[in-house]
Amino acid sequence: MRNNFVVFILILLLMTGLTYSQDLVLKGGTILTIAKGVIENGTVVIKDGKITRFGKNIPIPSGVQVIDVNGKYVMPGIIDSHSHIALTDVNEATDPVTPQIWMREALEPSSDSIKKTLAGGVTMVKTMHGSANIIGGVNVTIKLKYNEPVENMIVRGVRQQIKMALGENPKRVYGGKGHIPSTRMGNAYVMRNAFIKAQEYKEKWDQYERQKQEGKKDIKPPKKDLKMETLKMVLEKKLGIDCHVYRADEIVWIINFCKEWDLDLLQLSHCIDGYKVPDVIAGADVCYGGWVDWWGFKEEAYDGCPYGFDMMHKAGVRIVINSDSPVEGRYLYLNAAKVLKYNDIPEEEVLKMITLNPAHALEMEHRAGSIEKGKDGDIAVFDKYPLDSTSKCLMTIVEGKIYFDYAKESVTVKGAGYE
Amino acid sequence: MNRKIFVFLIIGLFCISLVYSYDGPKILIKNATVVPVEGNPMNNTDVLIEKGKIVKIGRELTPPSSAHIIDASGKYVYPGMVALMTGVGVTGYPGAGSDINETGVSTPQMDPYDAINPEDPCIKVTRLGGVTTVMTASGTRSPINGKSIIMNLEGRLAQDLVIKRYAAQVFNMGAKREEKYPSTLPGVVSFIEEKLNKVKQYLQKKENQEKDKKEETENGKKSFSIDLEMEALIPVIKGEVPALFITNDEVSIRNALKIIDEYNLKGIIRASKGVLKYAPILSEKNIPVIWSGTSGIPGRWESFDLNYHTAAVLAEKGVLFAFDPGGGRLESRNVRNLPVPASLSVAYGLDEKKALEALTINPAKIIGIGQMVGSIKEGKTANLVVWSGSPLQMSSRAFHVIINGKIIPMKSIQTRLRDQYKN
Repeated sequence: MRNNFVVFILILLLMTGLTYSQDLVLKGGTILTIAKGVIENGTVVIKDGKITRFGKNIPIPSGVQVIDVNGKYVMPGIIDSHSHIALTDVNEATDPVTPQIWMREALEPSSDSIKKTLAGGVTMVKTMHGSANIIGGVNVTIKLKYNEPVENMIVRGVRQQIKMALGENPKRVYGGKGHIPSTRMGNAYVMRNAFIKAQEYKEKWDQYERQKQEGKKDIKPPKKDLKMETLKMVLEKKLGIDCHVYRADEIVWIINFCKEWDLDLLQLSHCIDGYKVPDVIAGADVCYGGWVDWWGFKEEAYDGCPYGFDMMHKAGVRIVINSDSPVEGRYLYLNAAKVLKYNDIPEEEVLKMITLNPAHALEMEHRAGSIEKGKDGDIAVFDKYPLDSTSKCLMTIVEGKIYFDYAKESVTVKGAGYE
Repeated sequence: MNRKIFVFLIIGLFCISLVYSYDGPKILIKNATVVPVEGNPMNNTDVLIEKGKIVKIGRELTPPSSAHIIDASGKYVYPGMVALMTGVGVTGYPGAGSDINETGVSTPQMDPYDAINPEDPCIKVTRLGGVTTVMTASGTRSPINGKSIIMNLEGRLAQDLVIKRYAAQVFNMGAKREEKYPSTLPGVVSFIEEKLNKVKQYLQKKENQEKDKKEETENGKKSFSIDLEMEALIPVIKGEVPALFITNDEVSIRNALKIIDEYNLKGIIRASKGVLKYAPILSEKNIPVIWSGTSGIPGRWESFDLNYHTAAVLAEKGVLFAFDPGGGRLESRNVRNLPVPASLSVAYGLDEKKALEALTINPAKIIGIGQMVGSIKEGKTANLVVWSGSPLQMSSRAFHVIINGKIIPMKSIQTRLRDQYKN
């Protein structure tokens, strides 16, 4: 009897927990599925944090919170694969090689930047180390579950990515201190040298592991080195790579370098000159990450060209629009619309640049970036078509839970506090 | 005799042709939806441009002979946008090519006119985005920075570009220094006040000197010497040139208003925060606002959309305001993104018509060129843009740009790169 009672209570707790946070139905909106077209007057059902059904005339399960989104636009949560929000620190600018740095250790779940970014319909970001170092820290991909434990925010089951940087920033930071690198030749040397050391380290450990397996006695493990440990993971493809690179020559350089060392280069960031070598980028199957119209703010950014998206799109480059800024991270949908001003790319392809393509760059395409059965229940609801520049986000949902609600958060509801 | 007349005739014709080419061609924009900003949109409407001016707006205008005709069926004509607080013309090249922010705490004599580079690539990039007039400032980093000039973005030489030499003097309430006076806000306030007091004394001395000039020359006395710093502030203290105060919070706005009041200045407030509280006062005193905080991120305890919503409140309270193309610095490369804060403000409650005003006629009025540009009106300078849709839509494209009544080639450093790498 007593046992039954405990089980009953447990089941009840489990059920309320699930319905409270993970089940949700959005009813009657225009659904921009991204991968499967547009559905007018459609419904999206989220169960246990996953999208279980979507489409027209879907029966509404009972006992689940239903949100009427009639007249509104429902799209997958926006993804920013180059951000620096939610971090207490960004740049360990004391050494050009710092792979021992893990950005997850600087994560601040109560950071206000998470809340403010959610308001722009963003549900997932890769929040990154800065660009001072040739090899920086390991970035962390997070869902914007504001104020939840770090363990819940960090996306599990996908590779994290190490930050690398070429060009003017490391040159300036270390050259300015009278250290190497102060030239692009120095940049290349520092990178190459680090991987040669890492390769040696890996071989030592591989040998040790082999001998241990063979049952050999009296063997001592090699000395642990945290820098080398991370680079060993890069060599073993347990970590991907995101490289900050502006100029076309350096884009080609890093692609060749990663080919030579058999490394997984997943994204090129700040990729200003990408349009000059779209065939090389597409051929390497790496994502272009960048802004639409930033240019000229420094020498290596001088050839920024908003018309270049056409050329990259034609060449088959997977284009990702990033913010790199807590300000612009709040209106990536508006920045995406700028692509249409300068290029003849279909709108559904432009929407992919802030959803499905960054999901791909984060190796999360199977879980995010579109409204499809089985994907995470990450959703943004807009009052108008999101590429209409006068639209705004009304609601942001991460894995079935509402983290932003315009109707509760807006100054028009709460007041500015001085009236 | 006949020959003389013939020569005169030739010379005369030559002169007429010179005048003609100087004034620009006749242009007729046909069948457009004209959005004049001041007044309601008119469909199927033509705009006739002659000698750099808008001469006629109406339906089915007969094109004068030799007129260049632009068919704008299905398209929109808006006035060129006006951007305040830019660095266009002086900061185009990174590094040593940039010429803003001279060293010093008080440099009101700095004049961007002296550094204007008509080859600055930002000029072409800016106008292709539909911004046809800019105010370029000399800097923002000091309590007293320098002059601002106004340019229509068309012309071969600096003197062709500039339409107003001294549009405003820029003060910055937030320009505190480290470990040197002034290092606090009260320090900046008294620093500015001390300077303004000095200008008053200087002006007094100068006026006396002019009165006594004759006497002094006779006596061989030299009691007055020109001070360019003081000279630059005379029109400000006289209220002839606006004093533009950069503020960064509620407290600095309060102090800027105090200085404007005490010295009877013609004030302009550039605000990025804390402006709503002062909206009724600004409205009542007719002090315009350059609102630069739209995309700024509100504080932890403030609503996420406080800044997005601010323009709507400014409009509602009747404050004359314009949007700032930069979020706290002098923007030069992406002045073309001037509509971004306006679009965000519309999304969060600002009326679309008010938003357009804040991109065109309001900034023109704020810097005293409202009679010249900022709306489509007969007699105004022909700064017009033919758009595919509203400039408030990021997806809209500018097809034709006309400045000073001249058709601008749709070329910039970026179209050159496009054409170079297209194939």
